[in-house]
Amino acid sequence: MALLEIRNLHATVEGEEILKGINLSLNTGEVHAIMGPNGSGKSTLAKVIAGDPGYEVTGGEVLLDGKDILEMEPEERAREGMFLGFQYPVEIPGVSNTYFLKAAANAIRKHRGEPEVDAAQFLKHVRERMELVQMDESLLKRPVNAGFSGGEKKRNEIFQMAVLEPRLAILDETDSGLDIDALRTVSHGVNALRSDDRGFLLITHYQRLLNYIVPDTVHVMVDGRIVKSGGKELAEELEASGYAMFEEGTAA
Amino acid sequence: MEAVAEQKSVYLQDFQQRDRASEPTWWGTRRETAMQRFEAAGFPSRKVEAWKQTKLAHVTQEHFRAAASAGQLDQDAQSRLAVVDDAVRIVFVDGILDADRSQLDRLPDGLTVRTLADALQESGGVAETHLARHADAEAHPFLALNTAFTTEGLVIEVGSGAAPAQPLELVHVMTADAGSVAAWPRVLIHGATSSEVTVVQRYFGADGTAYMTSPVTEIVADANSQVNFYQHVEEGDQGAHLGVIHATVDRDARINGHALHASGRTVRTDFYVNLDGPGGDATLNGLYLVRNGQFADIHTWVRHNADHCTSQQLMKGVLEGKSEAVFDGMIHVARDAQQTDADQQNRNLLLSPKALAHSNPRLEIYADDVKCGHGSTVGELDEDAVLYMRTRGVSDEEARGVLTFAFANEMLESVALQSLREYEREALLSLLPGEEAVRKLL
Repeated sequence: MALLEIRNLHATVEGEEILKGINLSLNTGEVHAIMGPNGSGKSTLAKVIAGDPGYEVTGGEVLLDGKDILEMEPEERAREGMFLGFQYPVEIPGVSNTYFLKAAANAIRKHRGEPEVDAAQFLKHVRERMELVQMDESLLKRPVNAGFSGGEKKRNEIFQMAVLEPRLAILDETDSGLDIDALRTVSHGVNALRSDDRGFLLITHYQRLLNYIVPDTVHVMVDGRIVKSGGKELAEELEASGYAMFEEGTAA
Repeated sequence: MEAVAEQKSVYLQDFQQRDRASEPTWWGTRRETAMQRFEAAGFPSRKVEAWKQTKLAHVTQEHFRAAASAGQLDQDAQSRLAVVDDAVRIVFVDGILDADRSQLDRLPDGLTVRTLADALQESGGVAETHLARHADAEAHPFLALNTAFTTEGLVIEVGSGAAPAQPLELVHVMTADAGSVAAWPRVLIHGATSSEVTVVQRYFGADGTAYMTSPVTEIVADANSQVNFYQHVEEGDQGAHLGVIHATVDRDARINGHALHASGRTVRTDFYVNLDGPGGDATLNGLYLVRNGQFADIHTWVRHNADHCTSQQLMKGVLEGKSEAVFDGMIHVARDAQQTDADQQNRNLLLSPKALAHSNPRLEIYADDVKCGHGSTVGELDEDAVLYMRTRGVSDEEARGVLTFAFANEMLESVALQSLREYEREALLSLLPGEEAVRKLL
């Protein structure tokens, strides 16, 4: 059984159809990348899978570990093991990173019928994960993302993912706008978390990310559909030739 | 309009029937003047600019009178009397000073506190010099009524250079026996040169009782002095609170004001600050939490009358259910008040589509070398932030509760008295949605 199975997914925002029949199957241990031009629907796909109420699903199925998640609230999906890394991480004033993570971790544990985290153990776990993304410990006490630089916010997304250890991580343009050092750090975090019981769906606009995180499969998305899927060499092809040939293909 | 005219007359009748033989002439004259001012204008109709958004019908159609005697404090009220740690407490019940519950006998050095009645007997004293000599310049119907009718109150004097470590905590309680009762407490705070004092005034009352608390606090801050005052209003669900705080600020003196409107059917506070000497500073912070059927209103009138004065105002509102709130804030910079630095911000968070927040910034600037900023927002919770938290497993209710708390809690961070801050934080938590979940996250 696939970790993530998307079948003929259609979605609209304010009446306009953005996703026009997406099919995708991702197994545990795999990293898939979705590439495509601006406005192709990549980020919409990420948000629809995570349960953003701003989008309406008009057809199809999304299964996580075989369970239909489309009827679930976003927090239930998270508790089932899904993580969405935001393209633009949001500031949460008044809530420190540590408390936020503890609340998130406990929500997930409660869902699984496990006891709440032990404070000391949790802090140890958090410190280890900070090292992974080379995040400054002072950021732990700061409110979530408040006053963080762009790079710090993206690191914080990977850090949260590392702490929460999801089954499926969807990273929406986590690489956009990062300098090379930050990109390396973020990629290092993702690579360190790759494992046989976890899957990644990377949404990206730039092929550069895939030099650092080597995907098993690359999908090209144009105008709400996946128009081509292949191995990592597909990304290199795209870098050389651009999306033009696919866009013409759909127009014809 | 007929009802309003009638009301005017009942207050005039009350005034004329009172025995004022024991009052000094100067005070009698000030009272007469105030009564005449009220009588001439009456309660404001909705055509009066400063009152057009304030819902007053249930106040003006009722006839409120001072209580003949204080009612009984219930268990709940008794448990709420003491909040501020290490404070000198003075308690008013149904508008009447409760000597047994007050600590007028344990005042720290440098601080003199007398009852209004005592202070009035002193010829040429601080009361004669200042009482109703500052605030009464303002056209405010409830201020005029307070001057005309007040019998209970305090005159607080802080000696030159004195900085008593203990704050004063004035507690104004309205009991379940206070139906149709008016409380008109009058407080005069005089801070002499280079003194510093902190005065907390807390107002609360029994639910289900229609009373009116209409307090006036006059603050006179001499050169280089500082007065910190906290106004914590938690009136009962049928209680009306129409309060005035008036500060006259001399050279290099500082006023730090903080108001919390947590409950009450109609709660309005008017802050008047006159920065009359160079280098004066006024900081006014306010938070109003308004729930179903309630109304809260903060009016500010900050007047820069001298050069090099600074003022900062930050007022926040959280509105739930079918509720309404007003912030109306004036910054007036006189022609000679060069190098003024004034800022005013008002932010409202609407948690319901039926909530209505009015925000009226008013800037009147007659000097040319000034820095004046203002901002005003009325918005809802950031849905991106809610979704962000939910994608990490936090429930929708928790996310909304936390974001609302964080919005409001910013106003509590400026409360220097830890015990009061904690009390206000508890009040905030108990009033906001998702209380239990929010507690876990903070």
